[in-house]
Amino acid sequence: MTAQSVKTPDAPAPAKLLEMHRAMVLIRRFEEAVRVLATAGAVPGLVHLCAGQEATNVGVIAALEPRDAIASHHRGHGHCLARGAPVDGLMAEILGKETGMCGGRSGSMHVIDLERNNLGTNGIVGGGIPLAAGAALSARARGSDAASVCFFGDGALNQGLLHECMNMAAIWKLAVVFVCENNGYGEFTAIDDVTAGPSLLARGEVFGIPSSMVDGMDVRAVHEAARGAVARARAGQGPSFIICNTWRFGGHHVGDKQDYKDDAEARAWRARDPILKSAAQLQDEGHASEADLRAVEHEADALVKRAVEAARAAPEPAPQRLLEHVHG
Amino acid sequence: MSAHLSQDARWRLFETMLLMRRFEESVAKMNVEKHFTGHYHLYIGQEATGAPAISLLGPKDSLSTTHRNHGHVIARGADPGGALAEIMGRATGLSGGRGGTIHLTDASLGFLSTSGVVGGSISLGVGGAFARKHRKDGSIHLALFGDSALEEGVAFESLNIASLWKLPIVFLCENNSADSWDRSRGGYTTLTHAANDLRSIPGALGIPSRRVDGCDVEDVHEAMAEAVEACRAGKGPMFIEAMTRRWAGSAPLWPELSTGVTDLRMATGEAAIEGEHSAWYAQNDPVLKLARELLGEGAGARERIFAIDAQVTARMQAAERFAIDSPMPAPETALQHVFA
Amino acid sequence: MAEPRMLTYREAVLDALFAEMRADPAVMIIGEDVGAAGGVFKQTEGLFAEFGALRVVDTPISEPGAFGMAVGAAMTGMRPVFEVMFGDFMTLCMDQLVNQAAKVRYMSNGRAGVPLVLRTTMGTGANLGPQHSQGFYAWAAHVPGLKVVAPATPQDAHDLMRAAIRDDDPVLFFEDRMLYTARGPVVAGEPQTLGRARVVRQGRDVTIVAIGRMVAFAQAAAEELAREGVEVEIVDPRTIAPLDRRTIIASVKRTHRALVVDGAPLAYGVTGEIASIIAEEAFDWLDAPVSRLGAANVPVPISRSLEPLSRPDASAIAQRVRAMLA
Repeated sequence: MTAQSVKTPDAPAPAKLLEMHRAMVLIRRFEEAVRVLATAGAVPGLVHLCAGQEATNVGVIAALEPRDAIASHHRGHGHCLARGAPVDGLMAEILGKETGMCGGRSGSMHVIDLERNNLGTNGIVGGGIPLAAGAALSARARGSDAASVCFFGDGALNQGLLHECMNMAAIWKLAVVFVCENNGYGEFTAIDDVTAGPSLLARGEVFGIPSSMVDGMDVRAVHEAARGAVARARAGQGPSFIICNTWRFGGHHVGDKQDYKDDAEARAWRARDPILKSAAQLQDEGHASEADLRAVEHEADALVKRAVEAARAAPEPAPQRLLEHVHG
Repeated sequence: MSAHLSQDARWRLFETMLLMRRFEESVAKMNVEKHFTGHYHLYIGQEATGAPAISLLGPKDSLSTTHRNHGHVIARGADPGGALAEIMGRATGLSGGRGGTIHLTDASLGFLSTSGVVGGSISLGVGGAFARKHRKDGSIHLALFGDSALEEGVAFESLNIASLWKLPIVFLCENNSADSWDRSRGGYTTLTHAANDLRSIPGALGIPSRRVDGCDVEDVHEAMAEAVEACRAGKGPMFIEAMTRRWAGSAPLWPELSTGVTDLRMATGEAAIEGEHSAWYAQNDPVLKLARELLGEGAGARERIFAIDAQVTARMQAAERFAIDSPMPAPETALQHVFA
Repeated sequence: MAEPRMLTYREAVLDALFAEMRADPAVMIIGEDVGAAGGVFKQTEGLFAEFGALRVVDTPISEPGAFGMAVGAAMTGMRPVFEVMFGDFMTLCMDQLVNQAAKVRYMSNGRAGVPLVLRTTMGTGANLGPQHSQGFYAWAAHVPGLKVVAPATPQDAHDLMRAAIRDDDPVLFFEDRMLYTARGPVVAGEPQTLGRARVVRQGRDVTIVAIGRMVAFAQAAAEELAREGVEVEIVDPRTIAPLDRRTIIASVKRTHRALVVDGAPLAYGVTGEIASIIAEEAFDWLDAPVSRLGAANVPVPISRSLEPLSRPDASAIAQRVRAMLA
């Protein structure tokens, strides 16, 4: 399926490449801190980490403007951070504290951040897909050139909702990009066990949607694909479908022992760590020194450490908050 | 003309299709005469799809169908009197007057519950096929649905599961979107799908598919025979898209017998083909089309056609009397059958 | 005040849609056959011609996806009125309704909202059978975050549709198809707010709280009872959630007897909620136990003889009132 020709913007400047690297490092450090907190029992409920998938989060979101909308899923801390969510506010939310972005009532799986046009992480597999498509319908009705992106995992490929929304987006030429972060497992089940058909791309191609598959461990490849898709969307040429092949370094949630994964396969994916790849490229190209990269890590560590301390010290939501905000 | 169908088989199909047609004409008449109210859908124009497809099923096979189900239920051999009585909400109806036209069903003939919700027959059908597979007796399921069912996500989910689990199911999509009225004529939305070719949907999920002329019994029968055989051999699922023309009477929201009571003399040349619907009579009406083909079988065919019609018509007259004379369900039965 | 116009219930809702779409470019219609076809019940007739395809959107038969998109549009600046052709098909939208729309405001700590209306039809009497008749307003009212409206008259249908569109939260708007041709005076005044009951008729002997189409049956019963010297007061809550408890309780305290009537199944339904509120808040004023009438706990049958038996009517209401006063 070939996309109609829309001029793809020039290659990203070194500053942009470094910015994407910085965002990936922040996500990795953030997720590591959440893992430690969750293992220690400080996080209410289940928490799903995106370590390993930073390139898909960052590569796509770096292609967006502030007016564009995103919808995320249960493994969504990286999307929130890449979209600019405050580190301390997100951490406090995950710990269910009063100072959290949503007052501690949403936790990891339901962070809604409309200030940044983030329609939210979502506890329902595929739940964000129509929200993002709806944002594109809204943009169309308002005469805006805003695009929107829905992120979903490979598990959502088998939700009828995706099929319906792709159909409508194609018919109405909505400015929405369908991004499948294919990490090979829907919860504990391998994609091949539940996903029929000769090609995953065919699921977009059926509707005449330009569909492509990229290396989700390569932030530049993801970014390139996303920029093309967003440019097409803005130009009124309708939806795109991008499958980013990636890997979650952890289990489905913190505490998942991952007995269902093959060790050799896991090691091979680990060796393709998107952050190591990005760091090596930046160094090879002379865009960053080792010291620069170390500074990026220290900066991320400091932000995360401060966020953890603040979140731990923050109060629980006051009891009277329970009944607030059911209605406007 | 290919030799796929025997002469006998073609005559049997003609009788079934004529019964399906006369049944629908009775339904329309009963509605006009106010023996029942409420919305309903007629199967006229699609007989050449349903009749051969269903004729290939055995007694252990199961089926699921849609709001446009009357033809399927009759083709499977349900009693026309009981079916008509059901549509009229009578105590003697196939479901005691509870389901009516949209939920016409006959469990004894292998019909699962008939769904009035678009796409419902597909997911129910996959369940039926799952059960058939576990019986290991070679039985299969036939899921009948319209083109718009593929707009529902549940269709996609069901096709994915059927493909993964290699279920013995034939998905028979009756695409009647051609000739439906556009909005300027007061028609209603038909197929709204970005896919140029509906076969690409099962194709994307690894299900082999074929497109056939749904007005041609030979074409439908051949494709269906191949699909049924594959499913019985454990090579299912299979997908068939049968292309039919939308009968003019089904174009507006409320059906109307716009082409009149079918006059078989239009096939024999004894009645003129004229007026607004002449193209329909001459080319699209599958009952007239098969009658014309049978006339080619030589001496006695004309008489045989009219003899079958007389017998079918008499059967429907009896069915109408039965249904009209049947009582409404007794008030004391109102609370029955919510649970076992 | 404007002169009243005589409109059918259907026309009254349509008039409200025109008014709100003219007043606010964010209001849009999404649903099946709502565009040039004007709706299967002609309930959106003319909107497409005036407002065009960007604001009157015909969807495929994809209820979950299309409703989810309405939620997304509502979160990003629009005020969609989403139509579900038959109330029974609401089940197809349940995830998007319950897990997304209803929870967004709470989950976002009040910073985001879903200002949309889900309008749908329901009702027995047209022989539409088990999958085309039900009204799931009790289900909806059970979900925190949803508001639920069931207007009984053209005026209320008009006013409450306008109020529902202007409301900043998801509002479910249940229209009884059997009321579509009911005609009544409609004044296009200021939009109401949700959550206010209406005293339909005043009387001293018994309060009937009736939902939707049951209001008309209660009025017919009251006429019949008036000839027997029984003075019935009728309260129409109009909005099921939030519920105007005050008006109901005040009425019961005047009449000392209460009958709650609903066209949906009695079991686990709205009548139980209202009866328990009366019992809790007006127990000492009651001269008789609170009584309830509702539909039988059966799917709605197609049969002309069984269908009317499945829900209360005027004579059942009158008979119950007589029993309460005996």
